[in-house]
Amino acid sequence: MVPVVVPQLGNEISEAEVTEWLKATGETVAEGEPIVTITTTKMAMDLEAPAAGVLKQMVEEGEIVEVGAPLAEIE
Amino acid sequence: MPKELLVDPLITHRRGALRLPEIPLHAYDRPLAAERAARGDAALIEVLRHMLLVREFESMLASFKATGAYRGIEFAYRGPAHLSIGQEGAAVGQALGLSPEDHIFGSHRSHGEFIAKGLAAIARMPGAEVETILATHDGGWLRDTVAGALGGSGAALAEDVLLFGLLAEIFMRANGFNGGMGGSMHAFFPPFGIYPNNAIVGASAGIATGAALRRKLSREDAICVANAGDGSTGCGPVWEAMNFASMAQLTRLWEEEHRGGLPVLFFFTNNFYAMGGQTAGETMGWDRLSRIGAGINPDAMHAETVDGANPFAVAEAVARKRALLLEGRGPALLDVECYRISGHSTTDAGVYRSREEMKLWEPHDPIGRLAAGLVAEGVMTEGGVEDLRTGVAARIEAVTRAAVDPALAPPVDVAGDPELIGRRVFSGAEIAVPEGAPPLIQPIEKSSALRGLGRKARAGHDADGKLLSGLRAITLRDALTEAILHHMCHDERLIAYGEECREWGGAFGVYRGLADVLPRHRLFNAPISEAAIVATAVGYAMSGGRALVELMYGDFIGRAGDEILNQMAKWQAMSAGGLRLPVVLRASIGSKYGAQHSQDWSALTAHVPGLKIAYPATPYDAKGLMASALSSEDPVVFFESQRLYDQVETFRAEGVPEGYYRIPLGLPDVKRAGGDVTVLTFGPALYPALKAAEELSGLGVETEVIDARSLVPFDYAPVLASVKKTGHLLIVTEASERGSFAMTVAANAARFGWGDLKAPPRVLGAPNWIVPGAEMETSFFPQAYDIVDIVTNEFYPRTGRNARGLRRWDDLDLARRGL
Repeated sequence: MVPVVVPQLGNEISEAEVTEWLKATGETVAEGEPIVTITTTKMAMDLEAPAAGVLKQMVEEGEIVEVGAPLAEIE
Repeated sequence: MPKELLVDPLITHRRGALRLPEIPLHAYDRPLAAERAARGDAALIEVLRHMLLVREFESMLASFKATGAYRGIEFAYRGPAHLSIGQEGAAVGQALGLSPEDHIFGSHRSHGEFIAKGLAAIARMPGAEVETILATHDGGWLRDTVAGALGGSGAALAEDVLLFGLLAEIFMRANGFNGGMGGSMHAFFPPFGIYPNNAIVGASAGIATGAALRRKLSREDAICVANAGDGSTGCGPVWEAMNFASMAQLTRLWEEEHRGGLPVLFFFTNNFYAMGGQTAGETMGWDRLSRIGAGINPDAMHAETVDGANPFAVAEAVARKRALLLEGRGPALLDVECYRISGHSTTDAGVYRSREEMKLWEPHDPIGRLAAGLVAEGVMTEGGVEDLRTGVAARIEAVTRAAVDPALAPPVDVAGDPELIGRRVFSGAEIAVPEGAPPLIQPIEKSSALRGLGRKARAGHDADGKLLSGLRAITLRDALTEAILHHMCHDERLIAYGEECREWGGAFGVYRGLADVLPRHRLFNAPISEAAIVATAVGYAMSGGRALVELMYGDFIGRAGDEILNQMAKWQAMSAGGLRLPVVLRASIGSKYGAQHSQDWSALTAHVPGLKIAYPATPYDAKGLMASALSSEDPVVFFESQRLYDQVETFRAEGVPEGYYRIPLGLPDVKRAGGDVTVLTFGPALYPALKAAEELSGLGVETEVIDARSLVPFDYAPVLASVKKTGHLLIVTEASERGSFAMTVAANAARFGWGDLKAPPRVLGAPNWIVPGAEMETSFFPQAYDIVDIVTNEFYPRTGRNARGLRRWDDLDLARRGL
């Protein structure tokens, strides 16, 4: 299991909004494939899958999560 | 940065050489007999007559300037006369190659192009249409005046109106084509396709490019011509415009129905001299002007050098370029070689060129050459040519005699109506709330970024009074987005562009999500060409569109100095209200990045008449003021503080309304009530002022905090009403104090609030030195303790509080040292 967490996004950013899931729970993803769009007050960015496998979302679209918090797991 | 454009190192690293297209030099080789066969004798004689009219008209101006008289008419003309004597072939040839519905934009030397385009329009438009145009212009005043003074009817009357209207404008008379507000270098008359001439060298390049964009998007089958001289190829904004017109996205990325290059022809009347500097050989790197096309795009802008002394060579080239532009293959460039027989202006002593050179060009006088050709060809006799000359001279004399008569061309009555010119500056008009439904890529709800706005709280505090973060509540950035989204989604005439406006969403994210719904032709990335960004917006708006453009940092105003301060600001007044300029120019004011990225330059824009200026500090105000700016028919500069983009709404408990609303520009707003001191703030200075007000309240001093919200217009009433109550006024701005708008307000408040003031008004701004880096910023931008220092020490010494800030300097000593 590989966790997907909110990365460090700059020294003034502590949290981000999960704007859109690009892949659903149960979907197979390839390493490097964009899986979710997150937004901070400064920017919007797509996070890529850190590994290949089956995605399991851990937060809902629209939720605000802190830097370092888990977003998903890849089995 | 569209992802579909792959930057492939295998391709970029491929060995080879660039092959540039051939640039033809003087390719035209039709004998006059062929033109005669194709056009007929009457058309050839008309070309000569038009050139003679231009020549005689300008000779009249030259004579007035040199001797104060022309053919026995005495007149002291004090304005400029940049003449094109010798260049008539270029002007008349251009008009011959264009259609009446094409638009020309000129230079300071464009009387010839004006007259030629007007004569061609009168000749080719249906007579009834010409009559309607003249009957409706200025309520028919000009036409009736000319008809009364000179008689005539039909095309002859229309030509007299054209010449009289231009001359009256040159003399800056009330019934000149532009109400006497334009003059020699700025005259124009849109119904005949004659758009503004421009006293700033090369300025028409960007304006014509923006106008061409408008014509393309509104699917008009016509082109725009940017008239400029060879000297203008030394001007950065001309290069910016040519590049903007050539942007690859126009042919590679824009939607199918809008694909294609801009229909703009850069027409360089190349008379070899830029005032007294010689272009080829001295001041420029090019040997032939047409060569520069190769530096712009792979088509070399379809550039050609043509003989400007031959109107048919020019007309043939213009017609070919026009056809190519209408096919979407623009832009195009013509290097039209001419020789200016007259000086640059009437003070030109000719010290920069030899008699020998002038002699060599004598046989290339377009009028002499065509007259000789027509005689040789048997189209006219020498006597016929002479009769034509005499007739033209008599006509110009009659028009001139009328135009110098103040009964027929009255001076602008500024004595009787002292505010007359002032009323030309702004129309004050605004559009209704836009309700159209232009095509979108997809519905707004499909954009995850825009959906995110709907999830946020509208107010900045939650039910328990806790301040929400910018991710949880609508910020000033979001408020701007909402107002812009409404206008963009409901007003097809409005387009938005600037650097990184599309995928990036603007450098500060105000357009985030807009690319999900707006097609490329309505929201696009512009090159880093601030001059072209603003100039094209001016041209786009002048041609019936509406433009929202962005400069990223207010510090880049310098890069678009002429375009903002001379073009965007002035065309409404110089057109005597004939043109409207609905342009909104967004510019952020930064922080943390030091001297060239953090300056508040609002005073620069406030100083120049003709710009409305907003600078909101709260999300509620930002949304309402942006809606007003986008509705305005007048140009607006909209300043945004980078420090406030994440600011949530803390003043209105109900937060920022979801729906559309406007807040009129010009009304300062009381943000906190108090009876002891009035603190008026500009932009982000509102927040330290509120903090200071809290501290002062603890010291027994109650502060009324007023947020200016706008600089131009500015209603002093709320400020004076507050001063009446408090007797003390402190104005806080992040702009450097010297020459700031705050100083203007202080001077006026002292004058109009004198009876109520217990102390002189005080300005607290930034010092008159560079903005330092992030760690030193608190020493530069006014802080809450600086405000408290002034109020306690200067207004209320009874509080007994010692100053804590760094600003204990001697202002008069600093001034002596230039600081």
